[in-house]
Amino acid sequence: MSVTRMPFANLFKWLSGLFGKKKHFSLGLYGNPSVGKSTLANRISKDWTGEEMSEVSEIPHTTRAVVKKERVRIKLNGQELTMNLLDMPGIATKVDYKEFVKYGLKAEEAQQRAKEATRGIIEAIKWLEHVDVAMVVMDATQDPYTQVNITILGNLEARSIPVIIVANKMDLKKANADRIREAFPQHEVVEISALTGRNIQELYETVGKHAG
Amino acid sequence: MNQKMGAGVQIEFVSSRVLEGRDSEHKLKYILDNVRKDKILVLEEALTPQEEKTLIQITMELVSKNFPGIEVSALGKGENDLRTTLIRLLGGRTPGLTVVGPSNLVRELRRDPNKLHLLAGT
Repeated sequence: MSVTRMPFANLFKWLSGLFGKKKHFSLGLYGNPSVGKSTLANRISKDWTGEEMSEVSEIPHTTRAVVKKERVRIKLNGQELTMNLLDMPGIATKVDYKEFVKYGLKAEEAQQRAKEATRGIIEAIKWLEHVDVAMVVMDATQDPYTQVNITILGNLEARSIPVIIVANKMDLKKANADRIREAFPQHEVVEISALTGRNIQELYETVGKHAG
Repeated sequence: MNQKMGAGVQIEFVSSRVLEGRDSEHKLKYILDNVRKDKILVLEEALTPQEEKTLIQITMELVSKNFPGIEVSALGKGENDLRTTLIRLLGGRTPGLTVVGPSNLVRELRRDPNKLHLLAGT
């Protein structure tokens, strides 16, 4: 059962405000495709439930529908919380099936994948206003100033949804988290490697600060 | 299509007067109708985050073999705060700039953060 059903999300938020800090929250992982959202979702899920939740591959748009891990029990900063973890499809302004052909897919498969990817993007955008805490995951080796990042952050800010920017892939030589801090100085940036698990504890503590 | 007439790329600079009085739905329709005609638009205003979000959503509904999507970037703040909303209601302009074009023509569109770099070609 999902506690984060969209029609009741705002009511739930309002009631939580009335009766103190809530013990349950939804955490959405947002960002461009191929920034490591699913690797991070798997890391978080494995740490707290012992099992992974998402498929990972080098082909962009591997996650084409919202993947949910519900009622994950976590202990953060001495508090026990339950979390619905939502691994979102990567948001993009274009989906060209020819990109998938380059990865060896047949034209027909590539077109089908592109169609699914566009649906996934629409679904991820619809969820933007229904998460309690958002992690905006960025590839620290890439330019952070993408329109997708700007649009995601602008919409989360407009709804006053707490944001944690995750500078991922810090295990790579080219990684530069300062570029991300300069681009979005209004948000907390946590440097991690979802692949190696580097600094993941700090990320959990930051989640606890926003959710607890 | 315009590109078939020659090797050039058509860029249209759109005064804020063109979009004045249009609600978000009609503004985004105007943008996408023109982008799908292979035009790159330079708008004399920044879209709000909500408009940017809806622009991506509608674009995804339109993606096909021949229209893979858009590249878009904006300078300035298209915020929905009280001041900006009041200025708009009173018919005033909020500063900003938006560049949007079809992704099969716009090879690169980068913001850095106070300049936009556009590389276009067929």
